[in-house]
Amino acid sequence: MIRVALIGNPNVGKSLMFNNLTGGKAHVGNWPGKTVEKKVGVCVHRGVKMEIIDLPGTYSLTARSVDELIARNFIVEEKPDVVVDIVDASNLERNLYLTLQLLELEANVVVALNKFDVARALGYDIDVEKLSKLLGVPVIPTVATTKEGIEELKDAIIEAARRKRRPPRIEYGREIEEIITAVEEAIKKDVTLVERYPTRWLAIKLLEGDEEVLKLVEKSPYRDEIMEALS
Amino acid sequence: MMPLAMMRDGEVGRVVAVYGGRGLMRRLAELGFTRGERVKVLRSGPGPILVLVKGSRVALGHGVAMKILVSGDRE
Repeated sequence: MIRVALIGNPNVGKSLMFNNLTGGKAHVGNWPGKTVEKKVGVCVHRGVKMEIIDLPGTYSLTARSVDELIARNFIVEEKPDVVVDIVDASNLERNLYLTLQLLELEANVVVALNKFDVARALGYDIDVEKLSKLLGVPVIPTVATTKEGIEELKDAIIEAARRKRRPPRIEYGREIEEIITAVEEAIKKDVTLVERYPTRWLAIKLLEGDEEVLKLVEKSPYRDEIMEALS
Repeated sequence: MMPLAMMRDGEVGRVVAVYGGRGLMRRLAELGFTRGERVKVLRSGPGPILVLVKGSRVALGHGVAMKILVSGDRE
């Protein structure tokens, strides 16, 4: 079974997309220890069974709010086979921020370019192929309200689960890259961290001063070396 | 120029600066309050305000809205 996580900003049509994929049948519970709803459903497409997990709607993946942390921990720790990032095509600038964060997390991303009809009505002419090339991930135009593009999206999910690619790297320029590399090298000495997390992502989050990641590193036997590379 | 908290219903402006610690600056940037961004006050204070920014409605507390400096944008 393929495990698929749905993520997206608030108000992008995520719930509707969940219902389209699962036929509206969902097992509803809570995330362990949190009063945040967890919805899980099943989708069978071309004989392939997919488990669809609905993540909380969020603008970003920092460790600040419960919602963001749930979404982030699920992707980092449970490592779903595919992460479907539902993007509001009529508001690309805001939405692509989350997409870039997912790529940095080295998630196996498929972008659903939802509300494509709204974008078209607004006169936006989105070059889907170019967007896909720039992001390095499949991009599927969809309209959740009329179920347009849903079959194509399912195909793309199965295809993505079959061949897991390394997502493209987001470059930060020579100066910052040097520090990222130094921190990453120190992190790589800790086998436990290497097994569980993308090391480049850890290094970037440390540079951002991310509290959750700092806590992780505090427990590492190579803590001092990592912190020294940071300063 | 004035703090976002002091703008009235329906007024439009552009973000000039955000004054705050690293955490707040980052949070506001993620919500769409970046320099030069157009903002529209949908419901003004006193108290929390509702702002349209980058196509989304965002509610901000008065204290936070005082930290966002906005210039008037006549249309």
